[in-house]
Amino acid sequence: MIRKKIDIPLIIVLTLLGLFILVPMGSAFEYSIRNGLEGGYSFKNYIWAFNQDDFGHYLLRSAWLASLTVLITLLILVPTMTLLHLSNSKFRPLIDGLSLLPLVIPVVAFAVGAQIALPEFVQSTVFELPFLYFILALPYAYRSLDIGLNAIPLKTLTEAARSSGANWRNTVVHVITPAVRSSVMGTVALTFALSLGEYTITVLLHWDTFPTWVTYVAQENLLGAIAISMIALIVPFAVLTSISLFAPDRSMKESK
Amino acid sequence: MIQKIERESAPSRGAFSLSKTFSILPYLPFIIIFSYFFLFPISRLVYVSFLSNDNTFTLSNFETAFKKPYNTGFINSIKIGIYSAGLTVFPGAVIAYFVETRGSSKLRRSLAAMNGVLANTGGVPLAFMFTAALGIQGFLTKALKSAGLDIYAHQFSLATLTGLLVVYLYFQLPLMIIIFSPAISALRREWVEAATNLGANQYQYWIRIGIPLLFPSFIASFLLLFASGFSAYATANALTVGNLPLTPLQIGGLLDGNVSAAQLHLGKALGVVMILISAIAVVPYLWIQRRTSRWSQK
Amino acid sequence: MSNQSLTVKSVSKNFAGVKALDNFNLEVEVGELVALLGPSGCGKTTALRIVAGLEKQDSGAIRVGDTDITSVPAYKRNMGMVFQAYSLFPNLSVEENVAFGLQMRKVDKKVRLKKAHELLDLVGLDSQSKRFPHQLSGGQQQRVALARALAFEPEILLLDEPLSALDAQVRTNLREEIRRLQLSLGTTTLFVTHDQEEAMAISDRVGVMSNGRLEQIDIPDVLYNNPASTFVANFVGTMNHIPAIASGDTVNIFGKQVRIKNSHSGSGEVSALVRPESITVMRSQGAGQAKIVTRSFLGASSQIVCQLPDGAIIQSLMPSQSTGELHPGEEVNLSISLDEVLVTHAKIT
Repeated sequence: MIRKKIDIPLIIVLTLLGLFILVPMGSAFEYSIRNGLEGGYSFKNYIWAFNQDDFGHYLLRSAWLASLTVLITLLILVPTMTLLHLSNSKFRPLIDGLSLLPLVIPVVAFAVGAQIALPEFVQSTVFELPFLYFILALPYAYRSLDIGLNAIPLKTLTEAARSSGANWRNTVVHVITPAVRSSVMGTVALTFALSLGEYTITVLLHWDTFPTWVTYVAQENLLGAIAISMIALIVPFAVLTSISLFAPDRSMKESK
Repeated sequence: MIQKIERESAPSRGAFSLSKTFSILPYLPFIIIFSYFFLFPISRLVYVSFLSNDNTFTLSNFETAFKKPYNTGFINSIKIGIYSAGLTVFPGAVIAYFVETRGSSKLRRSLAAMNGVLANTGGVPLAFMFTAALGIQGFLTKALKSAGLDIYAHQFSLATLTGLLVVYLYFQLPLMIIIFSPAISALRREWVEAATNLGANQYQYWIRIGIPLLFPSFIASFLLLFASGFSAYATANALTVGNLPLTPLQIGGLLDGNVSAAQLHLGKALGVVMILISAIAVVPYLWIQRRTSRWSQK
Repeated sequence: MSNQSLTVKSVSKNFAGVKALDNFNLEVEVGELVALLGPSGCGKTTALRIVAGLEKQDSGAIRVGDTDITSVPAYKRNMGMVFQAYSLFPNLSVEENVAFGLQMRKVDKKVRLKKAHELLDLVGLDSQSKRFPHQLSGGQQQRVALARALAFEPEILLLDEPLSALDAQVRTNLREEIRRLQLSLGTTTLFVTHDQEEAMAISDRVGVMSNGRLEQIDIPDVLYNNPASTFVANFVGTMNHIPAIASGDTVNIFGKQVRIKNSHSGSGEVSALVRPESITVMRSQGAGQAKIVTRSFLGASSQIVCQLPDGAIIQSLMPSQSTGELHPGEEVNLSISLDEVLVTHAKIT
């Protein structure tokens, strides 16, 4: 009979963490479903939120901007890093270092710099935002991609493909792309999430996206804003947690 | 066990290489975008911070930056950075330890996802969540009241430094768990076993091996947490509505209209000082990370 | 602390329903180097770790000398262990690593550093004493690990596949060094490996394990020439499987009636187990029993690989002088120099 040892300290730690996380969340949720003066509970704040025309409008706008950021990442960062890993370029330390710089600069300072430096024609279009989000996400995206690319024998695969007679187009399409796919997926998710929730630069440069709209809504209907915030927190939380709970463990872990 | 393939290979130019003059070409798109949207704004920021209203060189912006109310702003920002980091760095480390060493793989992954969401939620949803939970009518406030703790009797408000601090803990703790977990997982099982075999009990292992190995990452994590708390804008903005002197908020205020002539370039100077303070924390963080990665190399 | 004997009595261990060790017994005498040899999953590492105290057995006892240490926690057992890789403490220098065991035993700093240097000298790394593990090569790290395990004069030395992560050349040199040290210090040693060449080369006795059980434990000679089971016969050295017909007590191999050593079920088709060095290859006039596929010059000996008409492959190892006239493609006759063989009924493809 195999006795399963119950790890008490672990359970204690997890319970405390769980309380820390769930108690404020739970209280806020409770607050958001209160039925005002009539007492009792209802989802009227949520219903109100979803019924706002602007809800869909701004959500879509944020998603659109986030997608553009991802596009920039895919078109610029992924090829650049793939090339860096394939060639022993002397520029690698340089680009490694550059990617870390945005971490040093507080977002507020970056926003001021962007406002005074970028010319009128750039700042008059909302399409400046994806580029700025790209910079903000860069340290995390770069590192995530770096780790992923290090884990696969990219150079060997490419050399094998080339020496088997594949031209560059075929090599990229049939060998490199499948190999980097999962690392890129992770980086894409990271970049998308970051861009979707970005508030500071957006509001300081006077643009309106979903996060800034929520703040605006709060002035008119605090409960509605709270309801929306709960959605913004709980939905990604639930989605990501269930993905990782039910996804097969495809990580290549060393067997100890 | 992973076997490191120690091969004698000819110095390789890689699977892809161009002649010297053109070797920078593939990297130009990245470098151009990065320079234009990052290096250029930052340099301009530094440059303008030294400009007076007549575009002459001056240090007056910096002089004002260190006077009231801006020095109060810096002090408050530094305070909240240190406190939010100090309060979460140890609990976060402990949680990371337990989860990494004793948690199942499923637990680790779902916790990583959860922490990812919480650490990056951005301040706005968080701010409203706490307004709901700890507001005057909040469920948590009421619960605490019935337990005998009336927080509002002591002039508590989310719009004060203390109130903000409570909210900051909510994203700092998950951040700590995220950034410290790799350090825990770098502690090889072989080291504990070797130490045990050589006669060390748990305590001796931690004193001589475990803690010395974790210490640099611990400090590094504190530094990053400080920078995170110091620079946070959204939460503070949503909760305090500009009443609390906090550097990010002050800079934000100076960015809009309503800027007097005397303050034309003050915001830029504040920004530069902010960068310096942040750099004092982040640069050592990066340096420590680089050095400790050497230990897990072999 | 003097060297002691090691006794493992009736140890069993289950891992999630799998029997890792099944009533495992072992005696290692003072100063002996015994190797536990087997494929992965055979239980050899489990046995070692249970002796070290890093795993707890489900039943059975461990004795060091006359003392029962079954319930003694790992950190109190007086054993030195060398792990497969990466076991040096990265934050301590080489000499601090080696002195660690003595430090735990509250030995004065000067004394323990001196002893550390003694051992580093024995493994030829005294010049590296102030360096850190990440600055050393794999082979150097293992030598430091060896010095560290021996510094506090343990009663038993345990080696968990210490050479498996190293390059071939380094492996051969280091195994000699391990044996040399072990002999000069007289340390009772238990050595776990999956490499049969390694085990046979340096051990006093070798125990071959499979599925949690000890199949045979003996001196290398006996293991090689008198394998107790077909598993041992196949695992140790190279073995030919010659298809033949058994009739009663004998089997016909290349025209010679050879006695069957092990019990088998009656007559019929069997595979006879014969070592390459027991098979001689000669040119035949006209058609022969087999055809040469390849001939490999290995120095003093040459390896001749032949193929029988039914497709079976036979390997022969002969002194190179006798193989001058043999070339790939030629028809040859084979003969066997043994009087008795092991047979197996399993069909080997």
